[in-house]
Amino acid sequence: MGVLDAALRCVARWGLTKTTLDDVAKEAGCSRATVYRAFPGGKDALFDAVGERELTTLFAAVADAVHAAADLEDALVGAITTVSARLQNHAALQFLLAHEPGLVLPQLAFHQLDALLARIRAFGAPLLARFIADDDEAARTVEWVARIVLSYLCTPAAGMQLTDDAAVRKLVRSFVLPGLLQPA
Amino acid sequence: MSRQSLLEATLACVARYGLAKTTMEDVGREAGLSRATVYRYFPGGKDQLLAEVVAWQVGAFYGDLTRAVAGQRDFADVLVETLVFAHRAIEEHALLQKILDTEPERLLPMLTTESNRLLALVKQFLVLAMQRAPLRAGLDGDAAADYLARMLLSHIGAQGRWDLTDRAEVRKLVETQLLPGLLEQ
Repeated sequence: MGVLDAALRCVARWGLTKTTLDDVAKEAGCSRATVYRAFPGGKDALFDAVGERELTTLFAAVADAVHAAADLEDALVGAITTVSARLQNHAALQFLLAHEPGLVLPQLAFHQLDALLARIRAFGAPLLARFIADDDEAARTVEWVARIVLSYLCTPAAGMQLTDDAAVRKLVRSFVLPGLLQPA
Repeated sequence: MSRQSLLEATLACVARYGLAKTTMEDVGREAGLSRATVYRYFPGGKDQLLAEVVAWQVGAFYGDLTRAVAGQRDFADVLVETLVFAHRAIEEHALLQKILDTEPERLLPMLTTESNRLLALVKQFLVLAMQRAPLRAGLDGDAAADYLARMLLSHIGAQGRWDLTDRAEVRKLVETQLLPGLLEQ
């Protein structure tokens, strides 16, 4: 949807605090009234919708990567590199992390992270059913892999790029696969 | 009067007023000093004062943690006790929980710098503890310590699907997600 994309472009340019619904309307090439009609809850409602849409898009990309995988190793490596590349190239998210971290870090830490991990498990566990028969074991694996991605997102390491297939494959082989009960 | 007593006065003010509303005047009044004297100790003002309070508290947390696990000889036990102790310490830290409820947007950016430092400290601590563990041949010790430190901090911050108050569960977490890639099978 044009308004959601426009909102993201505004955040990437000057951050969330300074972005107004007028800015978003101008960027989307529509009238203020159109934006207000679509989001009667105002700016908060608009950005809740943006966040939901971005999470859904990210989940869809992960699902594609996992569906294309031949085995569990490829599925995990594909999921990690896909998410990492999308987060790294996400201009609005990167602007927030660099300049307005207070607006994004609370979702990624402590009790709010528990809620996010629960959503990630509910989405990801069925995807792994092809490789891991036990539901609980699949949910455990999804949360585990999500923690690895989030750790490097919030605390990057100089020598480690989770977008690098070979580096991620090594990490998965060294530390994740040995701790999994497979196969399906 | 020492820097330390100003840090303690700041902590008392934050507990009372929160991060946003605490001022240099408040800290001075709490410590029985003028605002100008507080600035002499902390020329960077409130930002510097709060950053040093957070660094002091994170350092104290790390000190408590290392003391809590000092008696453990077995590497798996070190990891279990680390998770149990740290999770409980965070849940029982009334001021931390209050700020996480009311002003997470102010606290968490401050913790980011600290989480880099804490990650390095925990890694260092793990490298030492790992010397006693029967490690897999050819293991990259630095990569292993980095992985373990990240997983420990991730679970300490948010327990997710695990119950970190239950030692049996914590042991399962350690035995299935932390150790299998590290130890000789």
